[in-house]
Formats: sequence, structure tokens, C-alpha cells
Amino acid sequence: MIIGGIALVYVDWIGHALIAIISLLVMVHALTTGAMLRGRIKRSSGNLFKLHRKSGIYFGAFILGSFIYGLWIRLEHGEAILSSIHGKLGVAILLIAILQVLPSLILKNRARYRELHRIMGYSLASILIIDAAWGLYNGVTAGIKTLVLIHSISGGLAALVMVWIILEIRYPVDRSLARARLASYLAVFFVTAGCWMAGGYNYLTVYGSQVKPVILAGLYPWAHEIIMEAKEHIFVFLPIITFALSISLYTLDKDTFLGNANSRHALTIVACLALFMVLLMFLMGAIISSAGNTGMEA
Amino acid sequence: MREEATFIVSAAITIFLTGCIIIFHDLSSGFREFLAALTGHHWLSVSLIIIVLFMLFSGFLVGSMGARKILRVYDTRLWTTALVAVTLIMTLGILVELAARFLAD
Repeated sequence: MIIGGIALVYVDWIGHALIAIISLLVMVHALTTGAMLRGRIKRSSGNLFKLHRKSGIYFGAFILGSFIYGLWIRLEHGEAILSSIHGKLGVAILLIAILQVLPSLILKNRARYRELHRIMGYSLASILIIDAAWGLYNGVTAGIKTLVLIHSISGGLAALVMVWIILEIRYPVDRSLARARLASYLAVFFVTAGCWMAGGYNYLTVYGSQVKPVILAGLYPWAHEIIMEAKEHIFVFLPIITFALSISLYTLDKDTFLGNANSRHALTIVACLALFMVLLMFLMGAIISSAGNTGMEA
Repeated sequence: MREEATFIVSAAITIFLTGCIIIFHDLSSGFREFLAALTGHHWLSVSLIIIVLFMLFSGFLVGSMGARKILRVYDTRLWTTALVAVTLIMTLGILVELAARFLAD
């Protein structure tokens, strides 16, 4: 019903993107309940297995819907199907999702399948994030630029890693601190190397000479004058917040982490702030790319 | 929660000062030119300044127990709230300043 409703409202890539975003949210829920079932993070109340199975089925349905929607859009525009990397990754995601959901519903003894199910689940999350970021820039920029792509994918992965950190802190078990530290190092890497350096290099070398004049001459000059000017400066807050979070986790000892709810609450807030900043940068980036694309068409 | 709060305090102070520098460099063309002359581009200078400020404040707070005591570094709730508030206010401040300048032009 949700997919049908979106299809009625949007007949372009925005509908496909909306379904993909819902899939991402359901995926986070499936990952969380899966990690709770396995004991990797602290269990919450309720029938976790039922919740995990339900979110897995919904996730599979949304992935299938998103895939069919993507194919439909390509056919509507008379374009070749499954020729792009985004499309091929979509096929891989659909196949892994089927391999995840079907055996879980059919097999009675899942003990042997469990390890493979876990590995495929985490792989699926990474591939889906990369494909979603790739697809977003396919949608808003006519031609993919490698640096912009790296910048965008790093942002997507940073958001995923932030969610991981939040879950480890919110539901702590014995090994949560070690995993939260590892996740925070990854966050620092994605934010610094992928977002700051790649994005900064693109801004200094390509944006000013090629994209900025097009936006200023187009219908939405405010996209540069307000959004880009703000984004380039607000962004620099993000690495500092990520560094502070990572060093804080590094210096925290296990007993304080497990025993002090105030410390965990503080770190959760900092991680949520970092996640908010990543999502804000993503939104601003999409507006700027869209304005650049419109300017080129005009 | 002594050391980890130190870096949250340092981040809050750094973001506040850098936010002020960003707003001021948008208002003053002379200061913008000075920043551009430092590294060749004003954005590069702001990026360097924020790294230096964070390192300086972190080092200072880690090394000085007196400063940690005066700033109530141990109050994690206070400083986490301060970090969120400073980041959001500075973000909003930069957006409002740029929007006002765009509308005025």
C-alpha cells in the first residue's frame, strides 16, 4: 500500500528514493533486533524474534518494491535497464535480500544458517548504503563525478556508522565499548578522508569554476548564495564533533561505560548530534546538486 | 567521565569560536581577505583554524586541572547540552546571516 501510494504521487526517481529511504529505516530496525537476538547489544523487552522476522519481511518487500519501481522509471524514460552500476548493485541487493528472508521462513533448523545470515545481513546494509548514495547522485546530477560520488558515499557510510555507535551505547553489553570505539574510528575516517578532504578538494578545484557559475546564472542562485556558502562552513563543525566523540570513547574505561548511565547518555547525545549534522549536509548537498542540474538544463 | 568530557568541552568552545569567525568573515571583507591570504583560500584557513583551536583547547584542558575545575568539566550533562546548543545556534546563525545578506542584495 505504501509503495502504491508513493507510485501514485511520484512518477520519477523521487518515489524510488523515498521507498529506498523507508527500506533503510526498516533495515536499521532489522539490524538492531538481530544484534539483540545474538546478544551483541542489550536486549529490549518483547518478542525480539517475531519483531526481527517481521522487519525482515517488510525489508524484503520494500527492496522488491524499490527495485521494480526503479525498473519502471527506466522503462518509462526509454532507458536501458540494469546497465548502470546502481542497477547492478540493485540486483545484488535484491538477491541477498531474498537469500536472507526465504531460508529464514522455510528452514526449521536455522542454527547452521545463522552465521551466514548474520554476515549477509551486515553486507547487505553496507551495499544498500553505497547504492542509495550512488542512486541519489544519479538522480540529482546528470553525470557522476568521482569526487562527488566518494564524498556522497562517505557521508552515507558515516551516517550508518553513527547509527551503529548510538545502538552500541544505548544497549551496552560486555563488548559494546570496543565495537563503539571501532565504529567511531571508522566515522572519523569517513568524515575526514571521504567528506572533508574529497569534498574540500572538489569544492576548491571544480565547484568554484564549473558549478557555481551555472547555479548563479540559473533559476535558484540562493542554492549557492545561502545553502552552499552555509554548507562549506557549517560542515567543519562535523569533524570536530566526530573527533570529540571518538577520543571520548577511546578514553572511557569499560566499568564507567557499563555502570554510568550519565556517561552513556552524554555520548548518545553527541553521536545523535553528529548524525543530525551528516543528514543536514546530505540534504544541503542534494539541494545544491539539484540546483546545478537545473542550471545546466536551463 | 573526566577525560572524555574534556574533549566535549573543547569541541563546544572550538565550535563557538569558529562559528564567530565564520560569521565575522562573512560580514567583514577585510577579514575574509586576510583569511584568504593566510592559505590561499578562506575555507582552507577556517579548516586549519578549527583544527588548531581544537588541539589547543584539548591540550590545555587535559594539562590543567584548575581550568577543568573552573569550567566544571565534570558536569557532562551541562557540556553535552552546551555542545548541542552551540552547534545548533551557530548553524542557524550562519544560515540567517547568509539569508539576510542574500535578501538585502
